[in-house]
Amino acid sequence: MARRHLIIGGGTAGMNAIRTIREEESERSTITLVSAEKPYSRMVLPYYLDRSIAESHVFTATARVLADWGVTAQLGKRATALDTTANRCTLDDGTAIEYDDCLIATGSSPVRAPVPGADGPGVHSFWTLEQCRGVLAQIKPGSHVVMVGAGFIAFTILNSILALGAKLTIVEIAPRILPRMIDDTGAGLVQSWLEKHGVTVRTGAKLARIDDAKGRQRLKMPAGGDIVADVVIMATGIRTNLEWLKASGVKINQGIVVDDHLRSSAPNVYAAGDVAEGRDLISQANAVHAIEPTAQEHGRVVGANMAGKDVRYRGSLIINIVEVCHLDVASFGAWDDAKAENMSGVKADRPAYRKLLWRGDRLTGAIILGPSSDIWTTNDVGMLKGLVQSGVSLGPWKAHLKKNPFDVKTAFIATKTTSTLLPETILGRPSKAPGESPVAV
Amino acid sequence: MRVLKIHPEKCTGCLRCELACSYMQTGDYQPAKSVIRVSPFEGHTSYAPYTCTQCAEGWCMTACPVGAITISAVGAKDVVDDRCVGCKLCTIACPYGTMFYDPATRKAFKCNLCGGAPACADACPTAAITYEDVETADWLGDFARERTARVLTEAR
Repeated sequence: MARRHLIIGGGTAGMNAIRTIREEESERSTITLVSAEKPYSRMVLPYYLDRSIAESHVFTATARVLADWGVTAQLGKRATALDTTANRCTLDDGTAIEYDDCLIATGSSPVRAPVPGADGPGVHSFWTLEQCRGVLAQIKPGSHVVMVGAGFIAFTILNSILALGAKLTIVEIAPRILPRMIDDTGAGLVQSWLEKHGVTVRTGAKLARIDDAKGRQRLKMPAGGDIVADVVIMATGIRTNLEWLKASGVKINQGIVVDDHLRSSAPNVYAAGDVAEGRDLISQANAVHAIEPTAQEHGRVVGANMAGKDVRYRGSLIINIVEVCHLDVASFGAWDDAKAENMSGVKADRPAYRKLLWRGDRLTGAIILGPSSDIWTTNDVGMLKGLVQSGVSLGPWKAHLKKNPFDVKTAFIATKTTSTLLPETILGRPSKAPGESPVAV
Repeated sequence: MRVLKIHPEKCTGCLRCELACSYMQTGDYQPAKSVIRVSPFEGHTSYAPYTCTQCAEGWCMTACPVGAITISAVGAKDVVDDRCVGCKLCTIACPYGTMFYDPATRKAFKCNLCGGAPACADACPTAAITYEDVETADWLGDFARERTARVLTEAR
């Protein structure tokens, strides 16, 4: 069994791996964590941005917790090279760390639109805690905030910007919003909803440059209608942090290619989270998901395997949810599979929307949209996830759902989906509670 | 561990469990905030209550990015209000549809077995909900399959 574990990256995947190693190992090993930042959860930054939580709330492991876990932390440093023959990792300060096995979980970084002025002082990314602080310091009640990009990350902070009393304009070069999360119908409903709530949405809007205008920012729009903003936030996508691995010999496609135990082409080197190209549960093909739930599951599976267990990963399921102005928007699995049979129902006045995608009589993807105050929205959100995850054969319920796309619950219960799901666990055993104290070994 | 065992054939659809649950969980009689939900079957001729099974994986718990869902002394997966930020990851992770979200408090909430004295079981006049030391199970599946035959025929 590996005695010296090295975890590179203190995000969701890395921290889940560390906790799981301590839960699963039979003998105490040494764990070294290399992380450019103090470990925190990116998921909760929007709630720090709207000041509903203190900054201390975002951290997933304080120095004391890391010490309790027996983790040697190399914080504020980055890995610059990995030698998979010598089993050695080099850091940006020259430190070299030898390992028996290691996890690459270096995540992603934001990328900005390639326009002049995008790197200007009044233009922010919203990805790291440091960037969150930067945005927080700039937004005042009445500020005009312009968000460039209308993807998932942008939408996670939309409520926070409005809660701070700012006026919001969204600029998106694509003809529609949320292109990687919902379909055209869903996007149309969300856009109307946002406009009803005072958000200006400009889709199909090309941005030429951003100029400084006496402390404010002028967004030059070639089609006309320049925009003047107090704060510009660029949420134009992310890129996985893989450049430092070029000479490592680890096989990289879109991400680090991993097997069903999340091992890379070097058998004692694992990859998890945004950098990993692992199995997708629905397609069974390898894909980079770059979402929080995949990073969590990856991290736990790697942790168990590093601790000497033999845990095969079933594959990860794409699941996304975002709430905008009390409207829940969620999608699951292969929601954009053009070859799948699909059926949908819309209640435009509410608004509520369900789209179900099928391969045979099994649900392979779903989109759901509805007011957060509707209990059945939240219940259906979970049950649709359960139907896609379990792949339960829906038989005659398929015809029923075609006529009644909102009657998900009856179909879920009557097809005994609960029976199928109850034995399912990620690690082959009941999960443990996330205690702050170390697991006794 | 003791879990809520549902005996669907005994349910009369009186909704007292929803009232009792909401009172225990929120201090008010507001069935909209109940975490046990009575579902109608076969065109409202049958009913059965549906709630969290306290599953082994605890998908809600492992999905929470800030460790706000834990296991209580009685073995229930329980939301720690002070930790929950309301990000809703638990609502998409739970494959049973038994996570809830309160827009007023901006917190997730769920069945916590009322700390070991479940109000729904106490309130049920026909013992359709009991609190027993049994393996958790799919209590409604067979019942619902029988009681939906007519609905399915109509769909064809």
